[in-house]
Amino acid sequence: MSPMTRLTAAWQWLRSIVRRNALERGLDDEMQFHLDQQTEKFIRAGMSPTDARRHAMLRFGGVARVSEETRDEIRPALLEDVVRDVRFGARLLWRTPGFALAALATLAIGIGATAAIFSVVRTVILEPLPYREPGRVVGIWETTRDGVTRNVIAPANFAEWRERSRTLEHLGMVGYDGLTAVIHGEPQKLRGLACSFDVFPALGVRPMLGRTFTYDEDYGGKAGVIVLSFEYWQTRIGARADVLGTPLATDRGPKTIVGVMPPGFTVAGQKADFFIPFAMTVAELRAYSGRGSSYAIARVRDGVTFEQAVTEMRTIFAQRVREAPELNARRTVVVIPLQEQMVGDVRPALLALMGAVGLVLLVACVNVASLLLARSAAREREFGMRTAFGARRARLVRQMLTESLVLATIGGLAGLVVATLCHRGLLALVGDRIPIPRLEQLRLDLPIVFFTMAVALATGVACGIVPAFVATQRPNETLRDAGRHGGSRRLHRVLRTLVIVEVALSLVLLAGAGLLMRSFIKLQNVDPGFRAGGVLTASVDLPSTRYDDAHGEVAFKEALTRIAALPGVISAAGASCQLVPYPCIGTSFWRVDRPKPGSGETPSSQVRPVTPGFFRTMGITEMAGRDFSDADTAGSVPVIVVSDQLVRQQFRGENPLGRRLRVGFEHVSGREDVEWTIVGVVSDVRSNLDGPMRQTIYVPRSQRPGTGMVLSVRTTQDPFVLSRRVTEIVRRIEPQAPVEILTLDTVVGDTIAQPRALSILVAVFAIVGLALAAIGVYGVMAYSVRERTQEIGVRMALGATQHSVARLIVGQALRLVLIGVAIGLGAAMLLARSLETLLYDVAPFDPWTFSGTAVLLLAIATVAAYVPARRGMQMAPTDALRVQ
Amino acid sequence: MATERGDILQGTLDMLVLKALQLEPMHGWGITERIEQWSESVLQLGQGTLYPALYRLERQGLIRSEWKVTENNRRARYYSMTREGRRHFGDELAHWRRMSHAVNLVLDASLKG
Repeated sequence: MSPMTRLTAAWQWLRSIVRRNALERGLDDEMQFHLDQQTEKFIRAGMSPTDARRHAMLRFGGVARVSEETRDEIRPALLEDVVRDVRFGARLLWRTPGFALAALATLAIGIGATAAIFSVVRTVILEPLPYREPGRVVGIWETTRDGVTRNVIAPANFAEWRERSRTLEHLGMVGYDGLTAVIHGEPQKLRGLACSFDVFPALGVRPMLGRTFTYDEDYGGKAGVIVLSFEYWQTRIGARADVLGTPLATDRGPKTIVGVMPPGFTVAGQKADFFIPFAMTVAELRAYSGRGSSYAIARVRDGVTFEQAVTEMRTIFAQRVREAPELNARRTVVVIPLQEQMVGDVRPALLALMGAVGLVLLVACVNVASLLLARSAAREREFGMRTAFGARRARLVRQMLTESLVLATIGGLAGLVVATLCHRGLLALVGDRIPIPRLEQLRLDLPIVFFTMAVALATGVACGIVPAFVATQRPNETLRDAGRHGGSRRLHRVLRTLVIVEVALSLVLLAGAGLLMRSFIKLQNVDPGFRAGGVLTASVDLPSTRYDDAHGEVAFKEALTRIAALPGVISAAGASCQLVPYPCIGTSFWRVDRPKPGSGETPSSQVRPVTPGFFRTMGITEMAGRDFSDADTAGSVPVIVVSDQLVRQQFRGENPLGRRLRVGFEHVSGREDVEWTIVGVVSDVRSNLDGPMRQTIYVPRSQRPGTGMVLSVRTTQDPFVLSRRVTEIVRRIEPQAPVEILTLDTVVGDTIAQPRALSILVAVFAIVGLALAAIGVYGVMAYSVRERTQEIGVRMALGATQHSVARLIVGQALRLVLIGVAIGLGAAMLLARSLETLLYDVAPFDPWTFSGTAVLLLAIATVAAYVPARRGMQMAPTDALRVQ
Repeated sequence: MATERGDILQGTLDMLVLKALQLEPMHGWGITERIEQWSESVLQLGQGTLYPALYRLERQGLIRSEWKVTENNRRARYYSMTREGRRHFGDELAHWRRMSHAVNLVLDASLKG
């Protein structure tokens, strides 16, 4: 086509839009003229006027079809039809507000929830990490062959990896670290990371201001510099650019601020206020015995595959096992893409949520489809007529699809609102309690809007296509059937199928939610071995610049004595760390009266340094022997109290009291080779509700002191009432010590925050799905009762009782629901396996959950069917018969 | 009705309509009559194809239409060729001649062979 032609065409097109109406009216006139001419011709040929007319009509072949096809030739027809269909659809919605509201609410919820969860999945799982070539960054961990999948590494191993690896570059260590900084006279507890200088180039992130560490500042062993996070710099330092080069006063002496990282920077999702170097020389690393509390990060070199890096690291580790069997026996190395390390734990939960919203969306879809279909029954006659008069089927399908798309588009817009609300609810529910990496970056941006609208359109097509085809199929049958009763037989069949599908889908959803709920309830009812209710905890850090361990113990003792004297306090005690979820120290140990086990054979235990009265305060049962007392001091005989689990595993029926253990940590004297005498046995404590019981050793604080302590206070009242007075007592002793107050209930609750949030969310989705399914069953049964009004009238006139009519209708509904339940149970069993990793002490095929959900669904479906059935049976037979 | 669509090669209908309009503006019925007459009643155009074709050609700007009064004093829509239409018809006709000549050559050859 030449440009000129194209211009002309465009002009014609524009003109034809303007002239559209005239043209349409003209078309009818033109057809009429044509027929008249033809008739006249036949008359001239000798036919009777009637015959001539009939022949002319025959010759012409369906006025409606010709004009319909001709209209299709008019270019703007498609566009205009769409506009007309949209307007028509909107008008239909406006005229049936009940239907419109039900359908729109259904769609908005389904689409909105899907968009919200998808945006979480995208933020957390799908988006690449904000590092240079994030796919090349790996985390390196060690692991024992039993149990724990990722464990901290030995610095001595790290030193060798760094030297020997050819496939990895920028190997650096990362570990948690805490500091107390004094800013404007206020002590502040900072949470940060100790990082090798290599970590920043490994991630490929440059500081926003200043610089990161140098090799000398790290491996030179001078611990004098600090890099701040953007967030800390902005909220606490007042975003001043001139802080670079100035010292920050901390409990470990002044640290020179050399850089500020860009906003949102994290190392593998760990939030940090600051970054400081390990400041250990290579020689110090090599000499480090045991494992620290860090893992390593590195970058896979260009031209090297991930698999090659894994193979090389395994080889190096095998060398290390030979070189240092004490350290490395029964261990191996784990190399994991950093993205996997960050999201591996939350992925199953997020995917379960995605599955749940997907099911809700499907139920919503089926629901709207059946609503549309039931409504289209009323229009089947209209469609039948139009088809008989020559309207092409494609045209009718297009019209119906447009109507459902109008519905879905409005539903999608409303869904955006729902998604925003979902985000808020989600963030409120998850809060800071669940460490989901990158969740704070959650947002509703353009891609999500596109995604939502795409889902909406797909939903529109999905729930419009079945009604569109069913309602426009084979007009002859439709017309014939329509003469007898409202909708065609085929339409009823499709409606029944939709009910079955809907019931099956919501059963899958309910069963999944039921499993997660049951698992969560079990988790919550696990006996942790202590009584968390009524206990207030206060984490206190004394500035180590001014306190040595001995001074610290004096100060803490003073604080505990004063707290114990407060009204309403039953007892107060201290420990080096919170009781859950992590141990203060992990160590190996062995019995003095037995030969020392070979490397890799030594049992390991978690260790908690505590003050006298700790067991009583926490509600841990003392089973044998005695508690620590003030007579256990730094200079007295080293003593320990052990857990029942340790006794069972190491002493098997022997009396443990008076026996001695060697342990892998230092006594207050600085010696590691002291022998610790067991003076007591206490009941087991679960530090992870869903984890196994661990063997535990308690040591007196006096023999294993520190400058940090968690003060625990058992009260007779709401523990929070005491928080101000406890803080005051600590501040009076040391004004520069930061105090963090939590109830023990909160501390414990946080450990099961993820399963709680997951089960709540899935339950919400399941309830929504169930409600939608109930509405669906109700809608279809109500429609069916309306359609069968006449039949019911006849039955009642012939002597059927109200009761038998109700039984007929409810029975019919229940048959469908039962089929749906059966299919749903099958599908749920197939899908339940994928939830396995998320379940605690509940089998994926938990018979209670499955039968419970089936019964619940049947009950609700019965109610949903009974309501319209009641309406049917309350009709007077005469009214029922008159309806037609 | 048997001589509808199937018997007229796709694309030739447009040419026939344009040919009918070459001499003078005509209404739809007139066009069917003219084509039937010229083709010695072999080609009886079904209206189901004629009117869509007319609207299509008008959209393409090859013909235009206006309402006029017939000799019998009735209103009818008369179609006439545009300049673009004449040019297009010329091109199409040349193309058709080339093609039908080629097709005939092939068919004759196979007869002799």
